[in-house]
Amino acid sequence: MAPAPDDAVIVRRVLGGEVDAYARLVERHRDRLARYAVRMLGDPEDAEEALQDAFVRGYRSLATCKDPARFGPWLFRILVNRCRTKVVLRQRRSRTFVRDEVALATAGVAALDERGAWREEIALALGALDPLYREAFLLKHVEELEYEEMAKLTGVRVSALKMRVKRACDRLRDLLQEAESAAR
Amino acid sequence: MRHDDDLIARAVEALREPAAVSPGFDGRVMAAVRAVPRPSRWALAWEWAREPHWLAVSPLGGLALAAGVAGLLALGVWAAVPRGGGVVSADAAAEPGQVVQFVLSAPTARAVALAGDFNSWDWAQTPLVPAGAGVWSVALRLPPGRYTYTFVVDGTRFLADPSAPRAVDDDFGTPSSVVTVGRGAMPDRGRTS
Repeated sequence: MAPAPDDAVIVRRVLGGEVDAYARLVERHRDRLARYAVRMLGDPEDAEEALQDAFVRGYRSLATCKDPARFGPWLFRILVNRCRTKVVLRQRRSRTFVRDEVALATAGVAALDERGAWREEIALALGALDPLYREAFLLKHVEELEYEEMAKLTGVRVSALKMRVKRACDRLRDLLQEAESAAR
Repeated sequence: MRHDDDLIARAVEALREPAAVSPGFDGRVMAAVRAVPRPSRWALAWEWAREPHWLAVSPLGGLALAAGVAGLLALGVWAAVPRGGGVVSADAAAEPGQVVQFVLSAPTARAVALAGDFNSWDWAQTPLVPAGAGVWSVALRLPPGRYTYTFVVDGTRFLADPSAPRAVDDDFGTPSSVVTVGRGAMPDRGRTS
C-alpha cells in the first residue's frame, strides 16, 4: 500500500485546485484539534463551531501557510485564536460552562458512574479557571508543547506562560481536592 | 509538573483522551469549504512571488540564464522607453495588490488590533497605532481578494468597521466587515471610521 501523502503534498494539491483533497487534512487533524477545542471551550457545540471555523479559515488562507509541511501547527494556531474569540464572545453573552457531553455520551455505560463523574469534575474545574490559565495549562500539559512553541503560538512571553501554568495547576489541584473530599 | 502530583496527573490523563465530534462533521466542513470562492490567480501568484525560490543550475547553465535575463531586461527597457514624449506610469510596475488603510476612532481604547483572513485571525500580528485624537490606524498591503476582518479593542471587544460592509456570514456572531481588494486603484470599502 502506498504511504499516505504528507501534509505538504496535500496542501499543494489543494492550492492547485483539488479542493476535495482538503478532506484528507480535515480527517488527519480533526481529532487532535477537537480535543483542544472541547477542553478549552467546554461546550461541544461551541467547540465544533470553532473547529469548523478554523478549518474553513485555514482553507481560505492556505496560500499564506509558509511551511505546508507544518500545516498542523499552523492550523492549530488558527484554532487557538478561534477559541480565544469564542471565549471573549461567551464572556459577553454570560453563557455558562457546561460539561463535555459528547465525551460523556461516548463513554462506556459500565464505566460511566465513576469515570464520568471524574471527567465531569475535571471539566467543571477546568471551566472555573481563568481562560488564559486554562489555555496555558492545556497547551502545556494536554497538547504537550514546549514553552517556546507556546510563546510563538500565543504571543505571550515564556515567563508569563510558566506563571499561568503554575497558577492553573494550583487552582485545579484545589478544585479537584475539594471535589474528591465532597464525594467521600 | 511534579511526578508526585497525582491529582493533576490523573486530570491530564483524562483530558488527553480523544474528544468526539458529532457525526457528519467532516462533511459539513467540506461543504463550507466548497462554498468558499477560490482564490484568484492573482492572489496565488502574489503569494508565490512573495516567497523566496531557489534554483540550482550548473555554472554553464547559470551563464546562459544570466544572458537570458540580461536580454529580457534589455527588451523590457526598450519596450518601456517612451516614444513620442509619453510617460511611463509608476502603477505599471506596481506589485499586485493595494495598500489598505484600516482606521478606527476609539478614544477610550488602550489597544486596538486587527484580526482577519489576511493574518489568520491572529490579532497579535497586527496592532493599530495611535494616530492622535483617539484615532487608531494601520496600513497593510493586501493581494487581490476578498477579506473578512474585525477590530479587536483592548483584547476583549470585537468591532465591525462602521464604514465597511458587514460580512454576510458574520463569523458565528463576531461582528465582521469585508474588504475586497481588486486590481484597480481603490479597495471596495469605506476608508475611515
